[in-house]
Amino acid sequence: MIFTRRMVGFAAVLALSVGAHAAIAQDLKIMAPAAPGGGWDGTARSMQSALTAAGLAKNVQVSNVPGAGGAIGLAQFVNTAKGDGGQLMVNGFVMVGSLIMNKSPVNLSMVTPIARLTAEPLVIVVPEASPIKDAKGLIDAMKADLGKVTFAGGSAGGVDHILAGLLAGTIGLDGAKVNYVPFAGGGEALAALLSNRVTAGISGWGEFEGQVKAGKLRAIAITSKAKVAGNPTPTLIDQGVNLELINWRSVVAAPGISADQKKALSEIIDKLVKSKEWQDVLKQRGWDDAYLAEPQFGEFLKAEQVRVEGVLKSVGLVK
Amino acid sequence: MQSSSRDRSGVVVGLALFGLAGVLMWDASQLNRAVAYGFGPEVMPRVVSAGLVALGVFSVIAGLRSDESRPGRFHVADVATICLGFLALTACIGLGGGFIAAMTLLFVATCWAFGRRAPHVDAALGVALATATYLLFSKLLALSLPAGPLEKLFG
Amino acid sequence: MESFAALLQGFAVALTPAKLMYASLGVLLGTAVGVLPGIGPAVTVALLLPVTFKLDPSGSLIMFAGIYYGAMYGGSTTSILINTPGESASMATALQGSLMAKSGRAGPALATAAIGSFVAGMIATLGIAFFAPVMVKFAVSFGPEDYFALMVLAFVTVSATFGDSPLKGLISLFAGLSLGLVGIDKLSGQSRLTFGLPELLDGVEVTTLAVGLFAIGEALFVVSQHRGKDEILRLTGSLWMSAQDWRRSWGPWLRGTAFGFPIGALPAGGAEIPTFLSYSTEKRLSKHQQEWDTVGAIEGVAGPEAANNASVAGTLVPLLSLGLPTSATAAILLAGFQQFGLNPGPLLFAENPQLVWGLIASLFIANVMLVVLNLPLVGLWVQLLKIPTPWLYAGILMFAAMGSIATKGSVAELLMLLVFGVLGFMMRRHGYPVAPMVVGLILGPMAESQLRRALQISLGDPLVLVQSPIAATLLAISAIALIAPFALKGLNRFRASED
Repeated sequence: MIFTRRMVGFAAVLALSVGAHAAIAQDLKIMAPAAPGGGWDGTARSMQSALTAAGLAKNVQVSNVPGAGGAIGLAQFVNTAKGDGGQLMVNGFVMVGSLIMNKSPVNLSMVTPIARLTAEPLVIVVPEASPIKDAKGLIDAMKADLGKVTFAGGSAGGVDHILAGLLAGTIGLDGAKVNYVPFAGGGEALAALLSNRVTAGISGWGEFEGQVKAGKLRAIAITSKAKVAGNPTPTLIDQGVNLELINWRSVVAAPGISADQKKALSEIIDKLVKSKEWQDVLKQRGWDDAYLAEPQFGEFLKAEQVRVEGVLKSVGLVK
Repeated sequence: MQSSSRDRSGVVVGLALFGLAGVLMWDASQLNRAVAYGFGPEVMPRVVSAGLVALGVFSVIAGLRSDESRPGRFHVADVATICLGFLALTACIGLGGGFIAAMTLLFVATCWAFGRRAPHVDAALGVALATATYLLFSKLLALSLPAGPLEKLFG
Repeated sequence: MESFAALLQGFAVALTPAKLMYASLGVLLGTAVGVLPGIGPAVTVALLLPVTFKLDPSGSLIMFAGIYYGAMYGGSTTSILINTPGESASMATALQGSLMAKSGRAGPALATAAIGSFVAGMIATLGIAFFAPVMVKFAVSFGPEDYFALMVLAFVTVSATFGDSPLKGLISLFAGLSLGLVGIDKLSGQSRLTFGLPELLDGVEVTTLAVGLFAIGEALFVVSQHRGKDEILRLTGSLWMSAQDWRRSWGPWLRGTAFGFPIGALPAGGAEIPTFLSYSTEKRLSKHQQEWDTVGAIEGVAGPEAANNASVAGTLVPLLSLGLPTSATAAILLAGFQQFGLNPGPLLFAENPQLVWGLIASLFIANVMLVVLNLPLVGLWVQLLKIPTPWLYAGILMFAAMGSIATKGSVAELLMLLVFGVLGFMMRRHGYPVAPMVVGLILGPMAESQLRRALQISLGDPLVLVQSPIAATLLAISAIALIAPFALKGLNRFRASED
């Protein structure tokens, strides 16, 4: 059976090397290390439709390997796709943290980075009735009594939690004492905010947008480097807190592929990102373009790994 | 003779519950308990294992006192055949034999266990059913099932 | 009646031949995929979403509604016919439904499920149309302590699934609670009982346990004592519901809806709890107690099935009025809306009344289509049971494995399925009920997380559990439900001794 897999890989390599000049792949496989329906799956399937529609690939297959925040998919990718220039995997910021927390035997330095595709800034909100008006108000409250400031957000060790930990660290407080309450889905966290049970909430902008516009929640800070078009929320940096964090998604290739293969894949992704089809996808899905190609992306990935590991230690999730 | 025909499974179940409680307690002791507010991840396993120990005691007592007769004999070989069929399916998926072959193995094994002795017919039927399912998934839903040599034909 | 006029307008948009065709296509596709175990409504909708994108917004919405309801209903079909709950919310349906099928009454069971889903869907859709703003205020006011109290109430009801031995039922429940501990602890991010295996980090999937215990366990049990026995699944009596069936079904339908809709509207309510509550309520109220452990009681199918469907409609309340996706399916629906530049949220009713009312009208139509298409199919489904036993069980096992292969495809998952199957077989042999184990797996982790969340927000003060009026009320009801049977028994004994 390994034989057949090799054959396919070989065929894909052939197709890729033949198409290297035109940057057209015959067969591409994209793995979403998550169940159908999630964000990574959505990215993979959008890539699939845009790649074929833009004529950048003939046949694109998406496979789902869910589990453990992507660790299972990554392990399978590292083990079975080695040297295969016809396979890609979608991943993102969340995977960085979950790999560290789950003491995964595989990590992102084992795959070949290709490009960062999209990103979403996080936003910190407070209920309408809260006395807190801005980032300074929140920081003052945290400094006064860190335990009483409850943060609602997504899973423990996820991007929302990391932001809470980073915020505490940036203003000189002990991350392990942050009262972060993880909720199973955005819905529950939002309900906790709307009923004034928690002090502040952290999530992607999209999750809170409707409530902020309706005046039920107040967005006090956004975590991107600069303000986002059409969104008046000031950044943390604007408010004197030197902290930037975005929830990004990217695409990587198999370990051990040749420089030519990497170049061919990078070219395909470059063309994809610049295609009208992909831009339409971004608009439809409400994703922000955060394209970052090699070699900058590889550097970025390394820096994020170091930063996340530091935060996870500071909030006591990793020893 | 009389005592051996009684159902003593309660004793075995009780002992198994003690074992399970032990595993839970051991695992709970490995956890990092530092939680700033509320209670930590080790509390629930302890509560559950306390419940398991209590139930284990009752189960052992119930097993010793039991006057129910043992459940009758059963066709061990047939049960084992299905289990082997399922293991064959798992192995086939794991080794890259593909969805259709794996499903057919299970189908034939189950038919055999239920007393049919026409593996050729069953295999043909299994292949047909599995192929139809495979096509439904991969063509209509774009959900990729494990592909082996057979599936490549439809690629 | 501003809403009423708007709804009529919605119907005007949705009632064209083309739209009706999309609705029936959606129902058929949804049912076809929804019958596969392990592929619940969320995955079905996610996979079929691209199909709907090719249509205009209103056509797409109506097809969507059809897929949604079809997928929901598909799960109950397999629960009844082959005792294989495709998703956790149809487990309660499987309990009595499969007993009914075995005693030859698959027809009425399927019919009461279809009509019950229809009735519940209709009432709940009316609820969305007219009470969404009120409901949502109530839903949002539910906090972790209130959820915890709701789970306590649900735990109390589990005894309805115990059969004749409370000890064996409790053992099964605690085994489920132990399984619920496996995986990453949601509040601290630490892994419990994973023994270093990455496959266990996400915990035990409810459908894996349910399919293993129910479908595979059952197949092994049947084969273990198969020879020399008659065909087990045969049909007796009418295919259709008798007058008595109707009389016994309508109450459970309405009560099930009353459980399902409000709990489904809660952000963390889900579809499982209302089905458990409905099941145990019907069991307590039933005048046909002897049927529950023997030939299957129609109330036990009618109630949970209505509760399931109503809760699904309930999830649309927070979705449409707050933009809160509270279930996986709702999250995918949200993605579907965004495709049309529609942003569900507090402003949706004001900004896009036409599409909202079009959607609500679509839900009505899809619901009608569901019952119109599926009632004639009951006859066809029931024919499936006439397949010779070996092929029938071979097909069931294929089905059972398929769901797991399609969504996970991992060897570890398949092995777990087999282990649970063997466990289910042993439990059947020694008279242990399997349902409490699944209940434990579902409720245990939920109850633990909500309790810890409540205490974390209150900084460890346990009084928070009784200070909330909702939590206090629910806990009081649980206490009464727990004590009442004993008290009644005592009372009866007292009366008997008086005679």
